[in-house]
Amino acid sequence: MKTDRIARKTWRAIWQSGVIIILSAVVGLLTNQGRSNTLPLVAEWSPESKLTADSMESLVISLEEAKTLCSDKGAVFLDARSPEDYAQGHIRCAQNIPWQSFDEYLDRVFNMIPDDAWIVTYCDGETCSLSEDLAKELVSMGYEKVKVLLNGWTRWFEAGFPIEVVKNASCEKHRIS
Amino acid sequence: MIMAEGQTGFLRMRWKQDGLFPLAARLILGAVFIYASIDKIAHPEAFAKVVYNYQILPDILVNLTAIIPPWLELILGFFLIIGLFREGSVGIVTALLVVFLGAMIFNLVRGLDIHCGCFSTRQEAASNISMCLYVFRDGLFLLLGLCLLSSIFLGKQ
Repeated sequence: MKTDRIARKTWRAIWQSGVIIILSAVVGLLTNQGRSNTLPLVAEWSPESKLTADSMESLVISLEEAKTLCSDKGAVFLDARSPEDYAQGHIRCAQNIPWQSFDEYLDRVFNMIPDDAWIVTYCDGETCSLSEDLAKELVSMGYEKVKVLLNGWTRWFEAGFPIEVVKNASCEKHRIS
Repeated sequence: MIMAEGQTGFLRMRWKQDGLFPLAARLILGAVFIYASIDKIAHPEAFAKVVYNYQILPDILVNLTAIIPPWLELILGFFLIIGLFREGSVGIVTALLVVFLGAMIFNLVRGLDIHCGCFSTRQEAASNISMCLYVFRDGLFLLLGLCLLSSIFLGKQ
């Protein structure tokens, strides 16, 4: 008797679930189609595809290319993380332009970076979007040679490339090869 | 006044019919699911980014997950509150809570401290709350869902 009741309720749960899921899918898809900025049902989500400039050229730079640019002083490296993270360790040739307070650093950016300079932005973590946001803002400001080093800090540090840490409040920089 | 009495009467009737705990659990979970869906429905692009950051689903499913499940949450929330399709609603809610909790534990174990995206798509809104807290909170919701599931399926009605 009890088993029958549970079986009956399970059957009811199954068809009800089907109705609820179909209803949600229909409402969700119709609402999405009705939005002014419709989200495509399928999109390319790889970092490389997201970081493609209007010219269809990828904004992503490889670790080796970045290392060469840093060694040759061929690019301005911008660390998009917070000043605290930057102080704890950063790529040796990098300046700190925290994306979260980018407006405060605008003058510094314009003074420090010539229009035709190569710029490499980075932050830390596979899902970090600070460097991507910073790079896109720089492109929109007119800088044309902007690249992003994905998951930059971790990859650079793990490769054993030259880094620098800021020691205490005096902002004294300590180099580590 | 008449409306308030009507509502009280409806709640009293549901209370007698369902029991106090199942009714309270349905109302709590319903409110949580409705609240959780609103920001995701309003900002599907931002929610798609949260889904992508979990790095669990293939790219092809990221946008679909950002479009359909928030509406599923909203509809489930309403159904839980008004008591429509109870078995189906509670079944899906419990299954969803298992999936959410599993995804968070999976990322916690592999060391990805990502934005949860449970209630808000804004990164800064939850940046100071650790994934452990999210797991604990979702664990409580799941416990509530499981109790509700057992009371519905093992109850006499």
